[in-house]
Amino acid sequence: MTAAARLRGVTRRFGAVTALSEVDFELAPGEIHGLLGENGAGKTTLARILAGLLAPDAGGVEIGGRSVALRSAREARALGVAMVHQHFSLVPRFTGLENIALFNRGAWTGRGTAAPDYRALVEARAGELKLEVELDAPVAGLGVGERQRIEVLKALMSETGVLLLDEPTAVLAPREVEGLFAVLRRVAEAGTGIVLVAHKLDEVLAVADRVTVLRRGRRVLTEEAGKVTAAGLAEAMVGEPVGRPGRDHPPESGPGRLEPEPVATLEGVTVRTSGTLSLRDITLAVRPGEILGIAGVDGNGQRTLAAVLAGIRTPDEGTATLPRKVGWIPQDRGEEGLVNDFTIIENVAFALHGKAGYRRGPWFDWAGVEETAGSLMREMDVRAESPDTTAGTLSGGNQQRVVAGREFLRSGEMLVAESPTRGLDVKATVAVRARIAGLATTPSAGAREHQTTRRPPAAPKRPPGIVLISADLDEILELSHRIAVMVRGRLIPVPPDRHTRTAIGELMLGARQGGDPR
Amino acid sequence: MNRSLTPVLTATTALLATLAVAAALLALGGHSPGAVFSALLRGAFGTWDRFFSFTLVRATPLLLTGLAVALAFKARVWNIGAEGQLHAGALAGVAVAILLPVHSPLLVLPATLAAAAAAGALWAAVPAAMKTRMGVGEVITTLLMNFVAVFLAQFLVQGPLQEPRGVFNQTDEIPLAARLPALLPDTRLHLGFLLGIVIAVALWLYLTRTPGGFRLRAVGASPRAAEVSGRFPATPVVWLAFLTSGAIAGLAGWIQVAGVTHRMYEGLSPGWGYTAIAVALLARLNPLAVVVTAIVFGALSAGGGAMQREAGVPEVWVRGIEALVILAVLTVDRSWQVLAGGGSRD
Repeated sequence: MTAAARLRGVTRRFGAVTALSEVDFELAPGEIHGLLGENGAGKTTLARILAGLLAPDAGGVEIGGRSVALRSAREARALGVAMVHQHFSLVPRFTGLENIALFNRGAWTGRGTAAPDYRALVEARAGELKLEVELDAPVAGLGVGERQRIEVLKALMSETGVLLLDEPTAVLAPREVEGLFAVLRRVAEAGTGIVLVAHKLDEVLAVADRVTVLRRGRRVLTEEAGKVTAAGLAEAMVGEPVGRPGRDHPPESGPGRLEPEPVATLEGVTVRTSGTLSLRDITLAVRPGEILGIAGVDGNGQRTLAAVLAGIRTPDEGTATLPRKVGWIPQDRGEEGLVNDFTIIENVAFALHGKAGYRRGPWFDWAGVEETAGSLMREMDVRAESPDTTAGTLSGGNQQRVVAGREFLRSGEMLVAESPTRGLDVKATVAVRARIAGLATTPSAGAREHQTTRRPPAAPKRPPGIVLISADLDEILELSHRIAVMVRGRLIPVPPDRHTRTAIGELMLGARQGGDPR
Repeated sequence: MNRSLTPVLTATTALLATLAVAAALLALGGHSPGAVFSALLRGAFGTWDRFFSFTLVRATPLLLTGLAVALAFKARVWNIGAEGQLHAGALAGVAVAILLPVHSPLLVLPATLAAAAAAGALWAAVPAAMKTRMGVGEVITTLLMNFVAVFLAQFLVQGPLQEPRGVFNQTDEIPLAARLPALLPDTRLHLGFLLGIVIAVALWLYLTRTPGGFRLRAVGASPRAAEVSGRFPATPVVWLAFLTSGAIAGLAGWIQVAGVTHRMYEGLSPGWGYTAIAVALLARLNPLAVVVTAIVFGALSAGGGAMQREAGVPEVWVRGIEALVILAVLTVDRSWQVLAGGGSRD
């Protein structure tokens, strides 16, 4: 049988990153094909290549048995390929009917508004698919599920051989998911091949005929859905089950042994972000000298948790007891960690502008800041002409070294590291991880606190507590003393005997809720 | 590209481009560009008196409002309301000068200046509150507050503050004690210009040498980075920028009255608060450079009259040239960024 769509040895790079590497993929007519993988595994890239939104660097694309070189979404559309994006592409002020008409220009004739006969066409198609859609209200006022149904109908108005859905269930309530799947089954029965990109294993297994798993841009598995288990898929997604304990060198100052008093505690912390819960009832304690690893698929509340720990977000419920000196390596270094137009000196100044040691009367001690920036550059091996270099001209790795170095300066009591090695090359990754591990055992010198006045000698300094938030399981397992997983705003502790890729991977994907926390 | 040289090149290129376009238009209009420009230059710089009594005097309100705009823009506060804040300041200063029953300059001058600054700040506080509390864009609110201030000024000089004889729509002359002393003998240059220079230097020192100035620049560069990396909220910085900007613009209005017109009347400002945006942008928001660009625009204004008298070119041409400068700055600025390899959009 002719495949609805096929990729042969497709490779796609983004700069130095290879998003897809020699991937073969086949979509049969009338099948629902689940496409699984961790964040960054290449799922969306694959879908976008099929949709004509990206061109492959190498390899071939076939649609309906013919080899094609798609140059635009419009070309793909003409060949019967439609894509429903993760972020909907609807005009908010337009009604559902207007949006559908806008996308299917040429299928109707009318001036400025959809012609009456087109409306009949849309209603007939909706009836065929048993899609309940609101055609006459502006899309802006509709719920997510309603908008998605419009999006699906929009994609299916003309002859469609290949339907691509990028994480369609991420935004839906369980009942709506069932409704969507029922529609997809009807569409597939009519002969359309469907690619369903998803995170959630159980859902995919419930609807898909076949599944393909990508890992780091490579296809690692294609199998009929009946022949695989959620556990098997989770293993394929995160890599081989290693079954070893997360850390192979127990730290000298284990959690709670030397210094039982935590540096930070959260109790029952709940945070709402524009109505939805982004953190639900989080309770945790960070102890000096320990690395608490928080694993999870991006977007499960980790960013809010980091903001709470760093003290810039106040919990809506519950209490947060936080130390004063907190370093925070934010996930988004381009927008949050650095100002690209500022020099390295100015970016380092972000950690020093409030410190008495860097003030001379009313003036900011720029010479002192420059000195600190210089030693930071030496210590972190930042490759730049001078501390006066603009941050935007540095490579990603060097930028991250500046951010990390600056946050090490201020992490006297706690460090929150969000994906601290994302986008770094191997050498930089090793260096940053070593620094984080080292920080947990030795108190850092830190920035100058006072130059003229000296505080009375404090109690023996304790090392900072570290919260490592990462979607990279290797990183979590390599560095952490304790591990918890974030799923949909909740924090699930992982007992030490389950510190394996498979167990954590399953929890991350929500395949099995709750684990067995002690 | 040398970073410190780029702004100078930008400004110079913008001015040259403007001159070229203006020359072409003048030629098209049947005027001799050479004669027109030489009349303009003579009117602005021809004699000591032209320079000090005209160019610098006319540069003064542009200098102050230009500084107000530059400071606000530096913090990413798009204050288009310098015109309204200027009117509020002028009204407050006049009211205090006329109504205050004290006649010692040592008391009256500080009191009127303080009143003008406070009124300008108050005028800016309305859009500041709307921005920080309700997320209303300040471009619209500051602009609309201008109309309120201008109409309020019209009402006051026709009513409560009108001169007692009630002939013209203007206030009484302010008492001698409230007038700004001359800066140079035998010229009309007044203390206000020096005050403008002092404020320019102070702002420059604040922005480049103090932690507070660093925070203000950081909020302007990236409010999110300020919050995450700098661990300080942007809102107080936005308030500070709004209020200080309003206060400086308020001073501009009163200083014009106290130093030049000695009374408040309808149409006190020919739109300085708007020209100030060009002054600030041409200076790339650098307070010290604002001194230079304000003098350039002051010279255009001073030379415009001479241009009309000597070359027979209507003074509206000068307004046209000002508009061309704004366009040229915006265009050239973008091209320099692209040439310098940045090319980034924000």
